[in-house]
Amino acid sequence: MALFDPKGARAETRQVAGKSVAVLLAPRLVRRGFLHDVFYGLKSLLTGMRVTLPYGLTTSRIVTRQYPENRGTLKMYERYRARLTFIRDGQGRHTCTGCRNCEKACPNGSIIIETAKGAVTGKNEVQRFIWRFDACTFCNLCVYTCPFDALEMKGDFEHAVFDRRLLVYNLNSYAGPHASLWDKVEDEEQRKTLATKISPYDGKVPLAGTSMAGCPARAHGEGGAS
Amino acid sequence: MTVQAYTLDDLVKRLDPQATEGASQQYFLNLGPQHPAAHGVLRVMLFLDGETVVRAIPVLGYIHRGIEKMGESLSTRQFIHLTDRLDYLSALMNNWAVARTVEKAAGIEVSPRAEWIRTIMAELQRLQSHLLWLGVLGMDLGAFTPFLWGFRDREELTYIFEETIGARLTMNYVLPGGVMSDIHPEFAARVKKYVAYIRPKIAEYEALLSGNVILEERLRNIGRLSAEDAVSIGATGPVLRASGVALDLRKASPYGAYDKLEFQVPVGTVGDSWDRYWVRFEEMRQSIAMIEQLLGGIPEGPHMSVKPAVKVKLPEGVHYGQLETARGILGVFIAAAGGSDVPYRIHLRSPTFNNLWSVTRLAPGWRIADLVAILTTLDLVIPDIER
Repeated sequence: MALFDPKGARAETRQVAGKSVAVLLAPRLVRRGFLHDVFYGLKSLLTGMRVTLPYGLTTSRIVTRQYPENRGTLKMYERYRARLTFIRDGQGRHTCTGCRNCEKACPNGSIIIETAKGAVTGKNEVQRFIWRFDACTFCNLCVYTCPFDALEMKGDFEHAVFDRRLLVYNLNSYAGPHASLWDKVEDEEQRKTLATKISPYDGKVPLAGTSMAGCPARAHGEGGAS
Repeated sequence: MTVQAYTLDDLVKRLDPQATEGASQQYFLNLGPQHPAAHGVLRVMLFLDGETVVRAIPVLGYIHRGIEKMGESLSTRQFIHLTDRLDYLSALMNNWAVARTVEKAAGIEVSPRAEWIRTIMAELQRLQSHLLWLGVLGMDLGAFTPFLWGFRDREELTYIFEETIGARLTMNYVLPGGVMSDIHPEFAARVKKYVAYIRPKIAEYEALLSGNVILEERLRNIGRLSAEDAVSIGATGPVLRASGVALDLRKASPYGAYDKLEFQVPVGTVGDSWDRYWVRFEEMRQSIAMIEQLLGGIPEGPHMSVKPAVKVKLPEGVHYGQLETARGILGVFIAAAGGSDVPYRIHLRSPTFNNLWSVTRLAPGWRIADLVAILTTLDLVIPDIER
């Protein structure tokens, strides 16, 4: 005779807001006198021991993952949102047209896009696609909104740096037209002038290059660790 | 209970006007805002007589982030990612509450597949939330094993979310018109595997906790909340149902795919801590049963009916929508000026705020250790109390 009877729950039907609802009534706990409670109490403690004991005897139930040790085999899920990147084709060209849909969709202004009219193509071209990693909440709305499939979230997650300013950088590797505009330019010499290579820390970005509380300004790309 | 006090001195004078130094055992004690037994920055001012609580007054303001104010400058689609940060253990259901209100206001049709995905995700998360609560309950009452087990079983569900959604906690998955991405091809198989895994584990929890004499002594008859009190405070969810009121929006006004599901509403009889414990425990089983039913038939169709480029404009007027999260009824009130997707005012009726105030009725007469049991069976998530 247990104080708690798992099958003691009673099923019944009740009227709630004009609907009949199937409810399950909680079993009540009852006292059955001092001696019974003492022996029942002992039994319930032993029951608990019986449940937990196998966990101590066998190692097959260990679920802990040893993180730094398992780095070699650790694989994140393909949809895991950890770092915003440009999708690039085989020649390293992105498909961002600089339409600013992601900039508008971003809830906290983590994306800043600079565009300019291309001298050869005459179209809007991305000069810099600045992503503020330090402010991003990984809501995925930029990827979701992008009409040209230019963005994706990558699963790599070890991004710790010693200087917050290093988390503000350009996603594009060149300032120039998106992939499909390249093929329309036929002149070989003109093609060479289409793009200017840029590094992640080129140009002025928010936070970068300014001094922050007690921390002197650093040149772009200069690591915080050294 | 209303206490009008502007300073701590005010409060002391009001509650104990006759107190003379040394003659009384009555004194004030702050539980929190940083306390190992409180889940987050909850501060409860306790007016004690010896070790017995005379009055308990929750003091808010430690994690106010102005989310409702932020909502006045964001479109509803952008606002949804902030609702992840209310009750982070039912993030998907918070997303859904806002999305549902916007859909109702703008007259957006949602495909059966999207509703199916939302429902199964909500039930998975309800199970996940209750697993964490069960672990923390064990921890608060002095058992360390349930804490580790709760997190172990919760982790497996987190992987399921991670695979389909790409995030573990702040998911931002449900948008007006559907869900952000279709389910992963592996999703159904993984959930099926998880259901087979969790069933014996639930039986294990039951053997370890439900019949345990220490847990019984800590919960039985502690903190009885009558149905009248629960309703007058505005408590919802398991707290209200444990007091004997069978109000569950999944039954009372079905949304999503709940009208196609068969399940029972666990209800308590006297509203003590044991009833609140049992109601949540049984809800886990009901959630598993619902998940199994949902796996039976996945409707085909699109997962989203609104194109990302379309602005979801809200018609002029006030709109209200609500649904049942793991903690109770989350209501979303939107006042719109019309012609824009940015609301004029957005207000959230969060379940934990009302549930918290039942502590003013529950705590008097109990010891501090019992208060910990009462607080843990209320299942408080502090960021949900103040937005």
